[in-house]
Amino acid sequence: MIGLLQVSMMETLLSSLIPIIASIKLFLTFAFVIRLRTLGLVIIFFTIVMVVLLVFILIFIYLKNKHEKKYAKYKIISGLLIRKAVFFDGIMLEETLIPVTKRATKLMVNNRFRKLFTEDLITAKNNITGTSAENLKHLYRQLNLHKNAFQDLKSTRWHIKAKAIQELNLMEIIEFKDNLFPFTNHKTELVRMEAQTALIQFTGFEGLQFLDTITYSISEWQQIKLLQKLSNLPPVHIKIDDWLKSTNNSVVVFALKLARNYHHFELHDLILTCLDHSDAQVRQQAIYCLGEIYTNETSIHLISRFWREGLKHQLLIIKALKNIGSENDIPFLLTLLPIDNYEMKLAAVEALAFNGKKGLSSLNSYCKKDIEIHNISMQVKEELVA
Amino acid sequence: MKILVAEDDELMLKMLEFRLKKDGHEVIVTHDGREALAKIEEFKPDLVITDIMMPFLSGLEIIGAVKKQYPNTMPVIIISGMGQESVVLEAFQLGADDYITKPFSPNELSVRVKRFDRASTS
Repeated sequence: MIGLLQVSMMETLLSSLIPIIASIKLFLTFAFVIRLRTLGLVIIFFTIVMVVLLVFILIFIYLKNKHEKKYAKYKIISGLLIRKAVFFDGIMLEETLIPVTKRATKLMVNNRFRKLFTEDLITAKNNITGTSAENLKHLYRQLNLHKNAFQDLKSTRWHIKAKAIQELNLMEIIEFKDNLFPFTNHKTELVRMEAQTALIQFTGFEGLQFLDTITYSISEWQQIKLLQKLSNLPPVHIKIDDWLKSTNNSVVVFALKLARNYHHFELHDLILTCLDHSDAQVRQQAIYCLGEIYTNETSIHLISRFWREGLKHQLLIIKALKNIGSENDIPFLLTLLPIDNYEMKLAAVEALAFNGKKGLSSLNSYCKKDIEIHNISMQVKEELVA
Repeated sequence: MKILVAEDDELMLKMLEFRLKKDGHEVIVTHDGREALAKIEEFKPDLVITDIMMPFLSGLEIIGAVKKQYPNTMPVIIISGMGQESVVLEAFQLGADDYITKPFSPNELSVRVKRFDRASTS
């Protein structure tokens, strides 16, 4: 009886489960169909993407190859033209024309070719001197490439301006010097540097006129570059006075360097006034300068400034005294020996050792009472003998 | 004379090739140091003209290799933008026979090459 009951209960349970199982089955079938459809869609989607990508890559490769072929062709034409100019054998007069093929003339209208050719021409000019370099300059003018550079000067982008100035400078298009002048005070340092260098290249010392108007600072590096450019030119007398009074401190520093390099002894008194300048760099340069441009009284002024300066400038003053000092400076130099600073002691000992017989005997007397100074002086004397 | 030119700047290479061919020399051009050494082995040129800064092997290394293998028979001329005393000295210490600093005059190069031509024929 119990067994029958159990069987009937099981049947009831199973019969109630049948619709549930059926619905799960139906759900799973439905889900599978949906999943299959989604999968299909995804595959189709990615296939389309792949095809589009492939087409894009193929087009890109095609265009790139086409561009490279064109670039290679341009390079060949450009190289040929440059070689023709470099090895041009004819007599080069102003009106002489370097033969340019019709194809190259046609291509000159093409902006991309013109740029590439100009770059090649500049590279060649940078690597070559003599008649060949002159020929390259001639070709640059003949093809009116300087007019493009002139247009680039009007660009709003500073690097294009700087490049154009450099190009005009390299190709020595001197008639544009007045157009370049305003760029010597351009807000962008690289543009200023190129313009200043170009002006000196074109007009030598006369190009320094920009120092009258420049309001921006001239970097130390640019000062070195300008002085180096000037050093290749025969020295001419330049009027530096106004630059020494400039409100632009870097101009004063540069003018002091000019005064020192070109021995402007007539400016001694004006240089002395720079010792009291508010800018430390100007004072430093004035000390250097007075080590070269001096009178009997220069050391008095340097000594009077000494205690108002920091250690760096103090050492420079002592070094200047080593070159220009006289017997009158010996008492001052002796006062420096007891100062507790090795650099100061060494500089003072050197200055005394170089200050004639009196300086040397004063140093020897001091050595007797100070062993440290004695050792330093021995070392200095050894160097003096060597 | 058979001359090998090693220079990575295509424009310069073509110019040197053109000039030397115009002067009647046979010219072998190479674009880097490694290629230069391989072609030196292959063609055994009478003269080597090389730049210093090149890919794979520098001009200084080329001098070293050439002077080790062909100590007295293969002169080397350096053409370089590097004019610093230390580099020039190193080149000569390694055995370079001449040193031309860029920018240079092609006419000058021509004359300098001729010197070696005469030396090799005499």
